[in-house]
Amino acid sequence: MTTNKETLIQVTDLQKSFKNLDVLKGITTDINKGDVVVVIGPSGSGKSTFLRTLNLLEVPTSGTIMFEGVNITDKHVDINIHRQKMGMVFQQFNLFPHMTILKNMTIAPIKLLKKSKEEAEAKAMELLKRVGLEDRAEAYPSQLSGGQKQRIAIVRALCMEPDVMLFDEPTSALDPEMVGEVLQVMRDLAKDGMTMVIVTHEMGFAREVANRVMFIDEGVIMEEASPEDFFNNPKSDRLKDFLSKVL
Amino acid sequence: MNSFKEKFIQNFIEEDRWMYLVNGLKTTLIITVLAVLIGIALGFVIAVIRTTHDKTGKLKFLNLIAKVYLAVVRGTPVVVQLLIIWFVVFAYPTASLLVAAVITFGLNSAAYVAEIFRSGIMSIDNGQFEAGRSLGFNYIQTMIYIVFPQAFKNVLPALSNEVVVLLKETSVAGYIGVQDLTRGGDIIRSRTYEAFLPLLAVAIIYFTIVTVLTWLISKLERRLRNSDH
Ligand SMILES: Nc1ncnc2c1ncn2[C@@H]1O[C@H](COP(=O)(O)OP(=O)(O)OP(=O)(O)O)[C@@H](O)[C@H]1O
Ligand SMILES: [Mg+2]
Repeated sequence: MTTNKETLIQVTDLQKSFKNLDVLKGITTDINKGDVVVVIGPSGSGKSTFLRTLNLLEVPTSGTIMFEGVNITDKHVDINIHRQKMGMVFQQFNLFPHMTILKNMTIAPIKLLKKSKEEAEAKAMELLKRVGLEDRAEAYPSQLSGGQKQRIAIVRALCMEPDVMLFDEPTSALDPEMVGEVLQVMRDLAKDGMTMVIVTHEMGFAREVANRVMFIDEGVIMEEASPEDFFNNPKSDRLKDFLSKVL
Repeated sequence: MNSFKEKFIQNFIEEDRWMYLVNGLKTTLIITVLAVLIGIALGFVIAVIRTTHDKTGKLKFLNLIAKVYLAVVRGTPVVVQLLIIWFVVFAYPTASLLVAAVITFGLNSAAYVAEIFRSGIMSIDNGQFEAGRSLGFNYIQTMIYIVFPQAFKNVLPALSNEVVVLLKETSVAGYIGVQDLTRGGDIIRSRTYEAFLPLLAVAIIYFTIVTVLTWLISKLERRLRNSDH
């Protein structure tokens, strides 16, 4: 690994079990600033669990996660502070249905970053403009299409000005014709230099946008490479087998 | 017809007997309103303890107390609870009957309200909770800004229904001598030896209040559904 890259997240021997089901069996990797890491793998292999341990939505059974130099798996660390710097986008959007789009986007910056309402709304409107939804600021989530909801979910996370964005299958719940608009937002985000970790089945997107592709299988990183090597020269039989099924 | 008029005068007009009904109604309403307030406040606290325990595994001891409390209150008749509060807990003659009744029905209602709130909180998709936490809100902030407002809206109908149930349940307050609406009618009966008219009047008053309340609730529900986002 080149040394001029700044490490943002350092994962060491991460393990996670649910009761007696071992889901993550020792994951070690670095996420560097500006990385776009795409995580792929079979269903149930632990991709979501891996992503959710990164911001401690799932508490690891053992191992450490260093985020910006702080061991966030340490029990004495206030995880809420660090989560503010880690945006997360869910498959099911999880917009707050009782709030307008603008409120969805400004509540966290106002309550947590102590921004003024004006400042938070100005930032939110700027982001809404970037994803072409500025006219929906006063709408409620139920009035939006799936693709619009997911774009809002992304900019809602961006309102906190995170240093990394975590995506768990952001396009899997969408009608096919809406996948493109969400991927476009993510593509733009990558171009702007955002550090991203993305669980997805969109292989074309992975090939085009990722600088690293990670194959998680049976709770370990079975293989990791640049997109070219990953898709053109898969090494393990498991990955070859997997790619032959999805490509 | 003449005899009806006579009976009406005898039961309600003579010696201002209608005042038994008016004062009784006042007492019934006071007990209901105060008990509802206690029920909502305490019920909310119990629901928060129970759901926090279910979600995080914390508050083990408080959760145990809450569970015992719910089981006892819901497993015994409210009349028995009333008698125990008055004759065992209060147990001294200077205490206020009204206070005993308010406390009994408040504590009783809390058990039912707690389960209403709890089911409301549990009905909110966990994704809402996770979205809140992932933005950096702590547990309490996530509950206050994101979960409770949605849960409250969901349980408003059930909560309103509990008010109607409670209003009717307070009619047993006469067991310890509280002069509520029911007891007011009963006092008239014991004075005039005429059961039909006073008890009919009592029934009509309850029925009217319940009908108006139910109508208000359905209106509120419709309003909520229309603003359903
Ligand atoms: N909260 C939980 N409790 C118990 N088991 C869980 C929990 N979360 C996940 N699991 C189990 O852990 C395993 C890995 O789940 P995970 O969601 O991480 O897989 P995934 O790779 O994201 O799969 P998919 O592609 O289907 O989303 C699965 O067997 C799943 O059933
Ligand atoms: Mg998953």
